Amino acid sequence: MPPSSKTQAAAFSLEARGISKRFGGTQALDDATLTLRPGSINALLGGNGSGKSTIVKCLTGVYRADEGEVLLHGRTMSARDISPVVAHRAGIRVVHQDLALFDRASIAENFAFADRFPTTPLGSVSWSRLNRRVAQILEQHSIPARPTDLVGGLRPAQKTLVAIARALQDQQDQPDQEMVLLLDEPTASLPEREVALLFEALRERASQGQSLAIVTHRLSEVLAVADDITVFRDGRVVGALPAATADHDELLSLLAGPTRQVQEVGTAGENGQGQPGAGRVAVELQQVSAPPLADADLVVHEGEIVGVAGLLGSGRSTLLNVIFGCRKPTSGMVRVNGLPLQPGDVAGAMAAGVALVPENRLRDAAFSTVSVRENVSAAVIKEFWRLWMRAGRERAEAQRLARKYAIKTRDVEQPYLHLSGGNQQKVILARWLRRKPRILLLDEPTQGVDAVARMEIYRAIRDAADEGCAIIVASSDHDELALLCHRVVVLQAGRVGGHLSHGTITPDAITRIVQSVSASLEPVR
Amino acid sequence: MTQTDTADAPAQATEPHGRQAARPLLHFAERYALAGLLVVVGVFFTVLPASSQIFPTAANIQILASSQAVTLLIALAALVPLAAGFFDFSAGAVAAASSVVMAGMMANHGLPLWTCVLAAFAVGLTVGFFNGIAVCVFGMNSFVITLAAATLLGGGIQWYTHGQTISKNISPALIDFGSLTWGGIPRVLFVVAGATLGIYYLVDQTPYGRSLRAMGDNPSAAKLVGIPVVRTGVGAFVIAGALASLAGITLTARIGGATADNGTAMIFPALAAVFLGATAIRPGHFNVFGTVFGVTLVAVSVSGLTLAGAADWVNPVFNGAALAVAVMISSYLGKRTR
Repeated sequence: MPPSSKTQAAAFSLEARGISKRFGGTQALDDATLTLRPGSINALLGGNGSGKSTIVKCLTGVYRADEGEVLLHGRTMSARDISPVVAHRAGIRVVHQDLALFDRASIAENFAFADRFPTTPLGSVSWSRLNRRVAQILEQHSIPARPTDLVGGLRPAQKTLVAIARALQDQQDQPDQEMVLLLDEPTASLPEREVALLFEALRERASQGQSLAIVTHRLSEVLAVADDITVFRDGRVVGALPAATADHDELLSLLAGPTRQVQEVGTAGENGQGQPGAGRVAVELQQVSAPPLADADLVVHEGEIVGVAGLLGSGRSTLLNVIFGCRKPTSGMVRVNGLPLQPGDVAGAMAAGVALVPENRLRDAAFSTVSVRENVSAAVIKEFWRLWMRAGRERAEAQRLARKYAIKTRDVEQPYLHLSGGNQQKVILARWLRRKPRILLLDEPTQGVDAVARMEIYRAIRDAADEGCAIIVASSDHDELALLCHRVVVLQAGRVGGHLSHGTITPDAITRIVQSVSASLEPVR
Repeated sequence: MTQTDTADAPAQATEPHGRQAARPLLHFAERYALAGLLVVVGVFFTVLPASSQIFPTAANIQILASSQAVTLLIALAALVPLAAGFFDFSAGAVAAASSVVMAGMMANHGLPLWTCVLAAFAVGLTVGFFNGIAVCVFGMNSFVITLAAATLLGGGIQWYTHGQTISKNISPALIDFGSLTWGGIPRVLFVVAGATLGIYYLVDQTPYGRSLRAMGDNPSAAKLVGIPVVRTGVGAFVIAGALASLAGITLTARIGGATADNGTAMIFPALAAVFLGATAIRPGHFNVFGTVFGVTLVAVSVSGLTLAGAADWVNPVFNGAALAVAVMISSYLGKRTR
């Protein structure tokens, strides 16, 4: 067993050439090339349907590529021959966006499902061996959890780490096996701080010689973590460049392509109109307590976009849920336009003009099997009822909204689940904006949304504010908050503190306050 | 309505997502496969020498239609909670219990017809209400709790009837309703047609029906768009109970009394028809007219087979096979179009 099998330093640990894949009439991948250098991180960037996820699926055998070849650790194989088993044997490991974890099973069981259960001589499961092994792996990956913890009880962030650790679990047993790790949108559901931790872990892996590819939507992330960047558009690779020389604007224009002009959304302050806040008070929280919130106060004015930052578990979502009435506070009051809201009454909050775009789109907002039309009219069904459902009218309105919010869909009768993440989110946003809400609550509004769709969503949010809607955005993406908000508050110890107002909002400033909270959290009791 | 086109998107927003042109055809095939099959089966038994003597006659069609009236009503009863994502296994037992209560009140107490009809509905509404409260307020599993209700009602029927059929003193008006025709059409069919249209209207043409479907798709999201999920869900079970009682009344009228049957033999063909129906007209969704096709297809086929000399066991075998094949075809088509 030689300590290192890399006798001839290969330039590439993985090189995929001329990969093409067609689905029906759509060329999902067209002669795409991807190279991974040993010990480096390659970020795969692209909009929805650009092919970045497709190439990952081709390399891992989820899809069979139509053409192309793959050089892996000096071996050449035809891309058409890659099946999940072949890919696994060749050392390609993947963590998909859907982490494929079993929520009701323990972490150790999840590891064993993907590999095997160690057994005692009698053939029963040796839990002690399994738990010991998994505890070791968890420690290596700095995951603060026990092997016996249920996966369902973990935060989304920890789940991702567990899935990654699980994908790489046999590295523990065969340190010589060279592996490439492909991560499909690993940060889509992760808050900022956890993203940083994840990246730290990934950088650590890379420095140990691990080759990595990350599929992601977030530009700033890419610039922070990647060594190389590969940009996909319409199934082609339109740019492969070292991260060191790339900048944000260049990447954005590569992503958008010549036909799609991205008008950058200026920051709130640059938008000219004076600081809102002089407007009438739209929503007011008075001493609201709902764990983890304790005596939270907040005032938001008409036309104002207020960002809510805070650590994981600081109560960002709780704050929005209390206003919307889907979480009953233990004490305190919410006033909308001066009138108190009945606690825990969603219909009442909606009638008062409150709208909520929840964090977990698929769990809390989507009607996946029904049409885009029905999804977009879910909160206004009664308007289309005149003894009969006025299907034609409903359809026409749905089409108008699809155009207005740039929802890419073949037909509004298409099932919701056929849409890409960005378009799904636009449907939910359109569902609420059509009600002309007076208070719009957005929880992680651009999670799992590509860079271009993100700008379109920002513009829609900005337009709503210009029309006088009060907007509260809870987000772990500090770039997003800095770009979008007139004012940012940070949740600390259950209270609203750390105000950043007009002119002082930068991603760094937000991060500093959020992190300083974590440092000072202990003494506060 | 003020239209604010401040952010009218670029034209490529509606760019097709690039799938095959074969889609509309597949869609059509999927929607009307069941209806097509019904026509084929009907023509087949009309032409087949063994059954062509009796099968296409008005008398046979009348018998066929009225014998399926009860099944269709129970199927509609099961459909309403299913649309909201809840099983109701008790519909058959509720129909049986309603029938027994109604016949019992006539036979043992000599009460007038309208009182007995109200009593029958009271059974369905009560059971439906308790089912709904158990499922929607206390969060019990609908599958289990309605199975419990069905078992319990079965026991009640056994206790009340001592296993004997009740056929004394049944109102002649009721028996007329169950056995005579209006203009050649069995009278019970008018009730069934009314119920079918009513449920179609409720499920497909009202905000309430939309709420049911939204709940069936994603209860959590339904709550967050302001749908009163508890009220809607309890309502679905109550409507199911009322329809099951209507089935029980129709059953009493058809057989001129009530048997000690516990109704389990009625719920399975009805559920099969609802699932069969979910493969047609609006594939992938429980729907009223699909259910009508489901009931009719099974009835027509079984009648034809029986007339052609097939044995009794053919009935359930055909039911089961039709369901399995329909689900297979629709999931295959579903994958193709996805």
